[in-house]
Amino acid sequence: MVHDDTTLFRGLSRREFLAFCGSVAALIGAGQAAVPEIASALESLAKRPSVVWSLFQECLGCSVNLLQSRTPGVAQLILQQISLDYHETVMAAAGFQAEKSFNDAVDSGDFFYVVEGAIATKIPEAMTVGGKTSMDIVTSTYKKAKATIAIGGCACYGNIQAAAPNPTGAKGVAAFLSEDAGIPDPTVINIARCPGNAEDMIATLSYVLLYGKVPPLDAIGRPLFLYGATIHDQCERRAHFEAGEFIEQFGDVGTTKGWCWYKVGCKGPVTYAPCPTTRWNGHLAWCVNAGPCTGCSEPAFWDKVTPFYAQAPAALPGLAGVSAETIGYVLGGAAAIGLAGHAIGQVATGRWGKGATGEADEMKKGGE
Amino acid sequence: MAKVVIDPITRIEGHLRITVDVENGVIKDAWNTCTLFRGFEIFMQNRDPRDAWQFAQRICGVCPTPHAHNGLIAAEMAIGIPTVPDNARLVRNIMEASQLAYDSILWFYILNAFDYVNVPNALNAKPTTPALQAVQDQVRAVVASGQLGPFANMYWDHPGYKLTPDLDLELTSHYLQAIDAQQAANDAAVLIGGKYPMIMNYAVGGLTMLPSLEALVFYKSKMADVAAFTNNIMFNDLLAIAPFYLDLAKTGKGHGNYLTWGVLDGKSQLPNDRVFPAGGIKGGNLTVFDVDPDEVRRFTKSSWYADSSGQGKHPLDGGQEPIEFTSMPPIEGDAFPSGKYDWTQAARYGTDNLPMEVGPLAEVLVAYGRGVKEVVDLVDAVLAAVGAAGHPEVLMSNLGRIAARVIKSKVNSDHAAEWADLLIANMAAGDTTCYTHVETPATGRGHGGWDAPRGALCHYMELSGGKISKFAAVPASNWNLSPRDDAGVRGPVEEALVGMPVADPARPLEVLRVVHTFDP
Repeated sequence: MVHDDTTLFRGLSRREFLAFCGSVAALIGAGQAAVPEIASALESLAKRPSVVWSLFQECLGCSVNLLQSRTPGVAQLILQQISLDYHETVMAAAGFQAEKSFNDAVDSGDFFYVVEGAIATKIPEAMTVGGKTSMDIVTSTYKKAKATIAIGGCACYGNIQAAAPNPTGAKGVAAFLSEDAGIPDPTVINIARCPGNAEDMIATLSYVLLYGKVPPLDAIGRPLFLYGATIHDQCERRAHFEAGEFIEQFGDVGTTKGWCWYKVGCKGPVTYAPCPTTRWNGHLAWCVNAGPCTGCSEPAFWDKVTPFYAQAPAALPGLAGVSAETIGYVLGGAAAIGLAGHAIGQVATGRWGKGATGEADEMKKGGE
Repeated sequence: MAKVVIDPITRIEGHLRITVDVENGVIKDAWNTCTLFRGFEIFMQNRDPRDAWQFAQRICGVCPTPHAHNGLIAAEMAIGIPTVPDNARLVRNIMEASQLAYDSILWFYILNAFDYVNVPNALNAKPTTPALQAVQDQVRAVVASGQLGPFANMYWDHPGYKLTPDLDLELTSHYLQAIDAQQAANDAAVLIGGKYPMIMNYAVGGLTMLPSLEALVFYKSKMADVAAFTNNIMFNDLLAIAPFYLDLAKTGKGHGNYLTWGVLDGKSQLPNDRVFPAGGIKGGNLTVFDVDPDEVRRFTKSSWYADSSGQGKHPLDGGQEPIEFTSMPPIEGDAFPSGKYDWTQAARYGTDNLPMEVGPLAEVLVAYGRGVKEVVDLVDAVLAAVGAAGHPEVLMSNLGRIAARVIKSKVNSDHAAEWADLLIANMAAGDTTCYTHVETPATGRGHGGWDAPRGALCHYMELSGGKISKFAAVPASNWNLSPRDDAGVRGPVEEALVGMPVADPARPLEVLRVVHTFDP
């Protein structure tokens, strides 16, 4: 490890390092005044935090999005900021040698566990690595991890393979642990969206490292500093919604004027996510630049907000002026549960630890 | 006899186990087992066909765009939309060009390179530039930290690594540059698609909207950077490392049957009029025949699905139900896989039920056989560079698969700007049409057929009551990673592994190499 107190932090110049701390501060909403505190906390780490990353029922989209990260850049992240000790897509070793990397890291007990992908429960052998089922791997690894983060809709809520009729019994990590593995109050941070967003992941991991505790979560396990507001409330096209300026059909004149996608299916009013502010791929763009939001951060994604290209149900009178919350309640289901959670301010703020008080009730809902 | 099991095969998309039987230092038999099942063909039933492409792109987060495309064109055929507005064709090519450029870079460096590039050996190099010195320092810092991360436990002392320390350092440096290059390739289309992976601008009938001029200029600028990387770094890296691994040109031929549905549409939007046209090749004979997605059959005797007919079934006639899981083949002990051993079905083509290899090699060979000039010229240049002028059949090998991927990527990059220019010209002339609306009929039947970066991909769809009543996806893995069919014929990867020398069964580097050439 290159660590020169005066100029270098693991190969970064001081200027680069402070810029990195600045981006971390922005991501976790700590403000630029926190930069010296963040810098000092990171510099005090004797070794790079070990990350073990399991892939289960997934499409690899979350990892591909991680490869699009640039705050910090990918090489900087995995060679200088963390030690990515197990990730099947990135690691050189395979087979028994890969298993050794997994066991070395996990047996140390000094690692953060990231899960990408759902857990197959009805047909456990629908998902195996090295002959072990995803059920067995996640149960034993969760117990040893310092913290467990579910990245992407699959690890959070089961996502696409859990779409009706859910042929394999796919579940998110928290639901699996509580319903099938006999762990009543699992602590899992859900980084939702499909794919999981790299910057969300880095911000959350940074938060855990800096403060040594779980960030405040919403009713379905998502960090509130990221998932505290609807797409609709943050949308750059909101003024067009209020003014009644809607795209009526794909390719129409409204699409050239940046009007609102609501009538052609936008699920922004019932979707909690930071897309409009953090955007994607190095903050270049986000979905609404290209089409209606499909609600990918919500457990309702595949079964309750489809069809994607039909206006949200309930012909709402006088669209302009109808609040997002009203639309959310009309839609019902898990989205409304999410809204209720926010409305009464159920926020988990307990210190990091399995089954800490204050988290249990929130995390139980992780699989809904 | 030695049973060697590699599970997990790493540096791939998906979950894969390979079992081989090594006798006297050579692979005598091989079995591939996909260890993941999700059930797309089941849960896509009863859905709106206009949503299908959004579901479908979640089949593969590495190559979502061609899955989206297949979901679209299968639905368009079922609904009765034979062609989309030309502007939509151009944008779909643009999205695919971005995807293909990124995916090729990702595969060549991130997924494939560690089989040939010995990263620790880069520490023995004498850096000739400050940039190379910095990369070597970075490698040294990782090694000195004792936290090797992704480099831990690899067979770095295997005698199969042949590059010089200087080349190992240079390729390691390019590995790091490749991370930026694949980002640039994805960035190119992200103002148009909204995000990557999982794009947002497609719609059955065309597009949600036309890209802005700003987005198109941004695309051209980024793709110019990507073309520079592809042509000046990746292509030259291929030529630099190939001489050290020429023995790989003598192995891995497999069945010698190749299939592509084609990719990157021409004006007519017909599969034979693509930059890489559709076609098939039998038995290594470069005479190309026309292909039809309705000639595909799937067999399940070796797969964990019921096998009631004992015959191959059209994809829409035999889906993923009923599931008939037996047991995972044992890792320990001497027993080899038998009976059912795979979540993948065995896709076969035509009345002969041929196992077909798919992928860039298939696309390049078919284009070569059809006389596509730019492909013929590039292939001939590469053959001359490796001393095999006039012998395109040497491409039918492990090394050929790697070369074909780079050739495909270069052709793609060379075309990338042209579609944006045509689109800008259309818009300037007042043609801003990008969407055709046709009401969904009660019934219909359609298929796609548009290759992913890793090879032939086709979705099939049947409608009833305006909803999807049947859906099937036959991706590259259904071909390359097919298990034995009902007649006991091995799949292409299994066949390519047979005959491969393995120097040390405890460190089966050669198995990784063969499997990775298919980009599974």
